Order: sequence, then structure tokens, then C-alpha cells
Amino acid sequence: MNNKPIDRRDFLKELGMASALFAATPWLSVFSESKQTNNEKCRLGIIGPGSRGRLHMSFLAQNPKAEMAAICDIYQPSIDEALKIAPKAKVYRDYRQLLDDKSIDAVLIVTPLNTHYQIFIDACEAGKQVFCEKTIGFTMDECLAMYNKHKEVNNIFFTGQQRLFDPRYIKTMEMVHQGVFGEIAAIQTFWNRNNDWRRPVPSPELERHINWRLYKEYSKGLMTELACHQLQIGTWALNKMPETVMGTGAITFWKDGREVYDNVHTIYTFDDGKQMTFSSVISNKFYGLEEQILGNKGTVEPEKGKYYFENVDPAPGFLQLINEWENSLFEKIPFAGTSWAPETANVNNGEYITGERPKVDGTSLLLDAFVEAVITHKQPARVVEEGYYAAILSLLGHEAIERGEILTFPDKYKLNYMNHKAITNTENV
Amino acid sequence: MKDIIITGKRIKIELFTLLACFIIAEALNVYSIIKYGTKFSEIFTTLGYIAIFTVALYVAWTIIRLCFYGIQYLIKNRKKNN
Repeated sequence: MNNKPIDRRDFLKELGMASALFAATPWLSVFSESKQTNNEKCRLGIIGPGSRGRLHMSFLAQNPKAEMAAICDIYQPSIDEALKIAPKAKVYRDYRQLLDDKSIDAVLIVTPLNTHYQIFIDACEAGKQVFCEKTIGFTMDECLAMYNKHKEVNNIFFTGQQRLFDPRYIKTMEMVHQGVFGEIAAIQTFWNRNNDWRRPVPSPELERHINWRLYKEYSKGLMTELACHQLQIGTWALNKMPETVMGTGAITFWKDGREVYDNVHTIYTFDDGKQMTFSSVISNKFYGLEEQILGNKGTVEPEKGKYYFENVDPAPGFLQLINEWENSLFEKIPFAGTSWAPETANVNNGEYITGERPKVDGTSLLLDAFVEAVITHKQPARVVEEGYYAAILSLLGHEAIERGEILTFPDKYKLNYMNHKAITNTENV
Repeated sequence: MKDIIITGKRIKIELFTLLACFIIAEALNVYSIIKYGTKFSEIFTTLGYIAIFTVALYVAWTIIRLCFYGIQYLIKNRKKNN
């Protein structure tokens, strides 16, 4: 993957945008150009230009419609680095002062997880459009309150679920929903890496502020920082939300004072018994990260950008004949090893989902979409709900691990979305 | 250095031998298609494999012939010496 943004025209062309695809992924309508916006700009404030924040800034710097007018951080090295990307940005130390700046149209919240909620609520009340990194809230109650606040003030609200704008995933879901891979029985997601997930700390008192992902006060670790992306893929593929979740977690390798697990496994079960798993081990990277969508006719691995059908064409008859001769000859000679004869089954190398090796993820397009939505004042459908449910599922999984119980999706957090009906929250879509 | 003369007859024999090897290879191909129930289009799509097999058959047949002519030459030489 690289930091070069994909041109949105190329993106739409690549997807071969058909009306059926727009119906399945209505949030892409943000690029439909119903309103000419080429001469318009939106002024953005970036709250928390750390590593992720600066990645967003590097994409925004290439969008002529985005003007990074302000940044806010309490850590000087982050400010210094951010100013290299946006030298004209006004610097704030307190996000509330940034929110008071009436010339700022929208803010990106890219701060530690435990701070999202208050910044989001304050931003909504200040009349700002908001892009909030995932997981949107630190607790399920916070997520629901954020969702309701967005509905109340009717602002633009995007979450950091970039796979919604990734051509590989959009194509994958189109094929999955068309039944190309048959009936989907299970989705296996995992995110493995082999590093301690730490950032360098210049002085000990900054440890918790910089490595906030490792401490319970700030984050819920692998479930909120990684699972959030992958669980959303499962519900998108199955077009429904799971009913129950169970899980387990432990610190098994990185016993370095961290408080969050370095090894988690969770199982989400749907009403028809289908299952989605998420696991993460950060002391082995062999299998990397993937979301494996398992159908009775085929498998998709969108991270690799590939799909594989269950039944591949057999090897040509002639090769099978040669192979049979070879086997019958060498079976009688116990010392014979692997020979020149070809295998009888073709190796299943799969096919690229978009016809080529993946080049970019959806982050640049997600940010372009946010900028476009801010300018047009049109909130694309389902973006918030996808971010909300991704957060709730991650947090519910974390709670199941903590309590050691099988948890049922709580009614109070249900929206009128997919197979869910809101019970207590009448303000929902 | 001695010139090697390849007669027109020899060329014709070798070409016919090669053709016979190709026909045998293609016949085996058809047999395997029927035996394993694969697509008849393989008659054409596996021509690369058939070409390799044809050459292998030709080389094998040439080795057999060289052995045969070698033994024949040795027997003739022995008779001549006696």
C-alpha cells in the first residue's frame, strides 16, 4: 500500500459503477457530483495530528478542496511534524479554542480513544462537521450518545471505516451479495503482527500519553484498535448483525507493563447460527491480517485482494495420464522421490478481485468523501451506522472477554438498521 | 574433416518418424481426454505438452535405433574379423 491517493474518477471507473452497486453501497453517492463543487473548499481542523492524524493530513494535502486551517495537539513533536504537511495551519493547544474558530467547517478527531466522546459532543455543539476515527466511543453508551447527538444536530459525521471506500471491499461485497461464492457460512477475521505496538517515548512521564493503546484508561486494545475494522466486513457481507458474542483474551507474550491483551479470540454468532470470528495475536505475523469470507462455492480474501473458487478445473487429461504412469512406476520403487511429473490438480492461485494487485486502501477516498459531504452538506447513507455498529461490536466483544460470558446484543444499543429494530431509541433511522 | 551426407531418403524417414511420434502422442491425448472426461478442446490447448512428448518419443526411439544399429555394427565387424 502507498500514500498516493486514488483518483475518484479512476475509482468509479474501476468499480464500473452500476445502479445496482450504488443501491448496495449508497454512501458512494457522495461522489455522484450532483452539485458542482470544484471551486469550493472546506476548512478543516485536525485534532490530534499524531501518526494516524498525519497520514490523513498527507492525503488531505493532495485534495484541492481541503484546506487544513488548524491543528491541535498537546505534544510538540506531533505539532512540528504536522506543520511540515500544513505549514499555514493555525496551532491550538486546547481543542475547545479550535472549535470556537468560526472559520473552521469541520474537524477530524484523531485522538486517543477515551477522548473521542467529549471532543465529538463539543464539536457537534459548536456546529462542526465531524470525522471521528474509530472506534468512535470508549463505551457503548458513549457510542449511542454520539449517534444520537449526530441525529440531533444533523451534521456530517464520518467514522474511520475506510474499507467502505476501498474498491476491493466494494467489489467483494457486490460479488458476495450476488451469490458468486454461494451461501456464506462463516467469516474468519484475524489481525496478527509481531511487534510490541509501542512508540518511542522521549521521557517516562509521557509513556501513557504516547502508548495510550496499551492502557485500559485510554483504550481497549486489540478489540477497539483492530477488530473494529474487520467486524464491519462480516456484517457488511452478511447484511445483518450478530446476536451473541463470546471471547477470551490474555497477555501471553508482551509482559512489559501493558494493561491490554496481546492475544484475543472472539466468536460472534448470528441468528441463523452463522459465525464470525476475530482473533489477534501480536507475537506472530505469519498469517498477517485478513478477512476470509467462506462460501460453499468460494472464498474471498479482500486484504490480499483475491478470491478462490472451491472447484478448480482439473489438470488436462494428458497430464493426468502422465502422472498416473509416473505414480504407477515410482510406487514400485521405494527410494524414488519427487519426479518431474506434474501434479494432477491445478494449484488454486485465485483471481484478483479488481483484476490487479491491490495498490491502495480506502483511506484517501474516505477523506475525499468527507470533504465532499462537508461541502455539499449531504450526509451519505449508512456511513454513521456502519461506524456505530463496528464500534458496538468491538466493545461488546471486549466486554464478553472481560466478563467471560456469552453476551447477547443489548436491545438498548439497537438501531433501525439491517436486521435490528430500535427498541428504546426512537430517534434512530 | 569428413563431410557428413544426409540423404533425402534419411530426411524423409526422420520426418515420418517424427510425424508418427506426434500421431502417437496426440492419440494418447485423445485417449486421456476420454479416460478422464476432460474437455475436447485440450486437443489444441495441450499442444505444447504434446510437442514435448513427441520430442521425448522421438529421442527415445532414436536411442533404441542407435543401440540396434550399434549392436548390428558390432556383429558385422566380428563376422568380418573371423
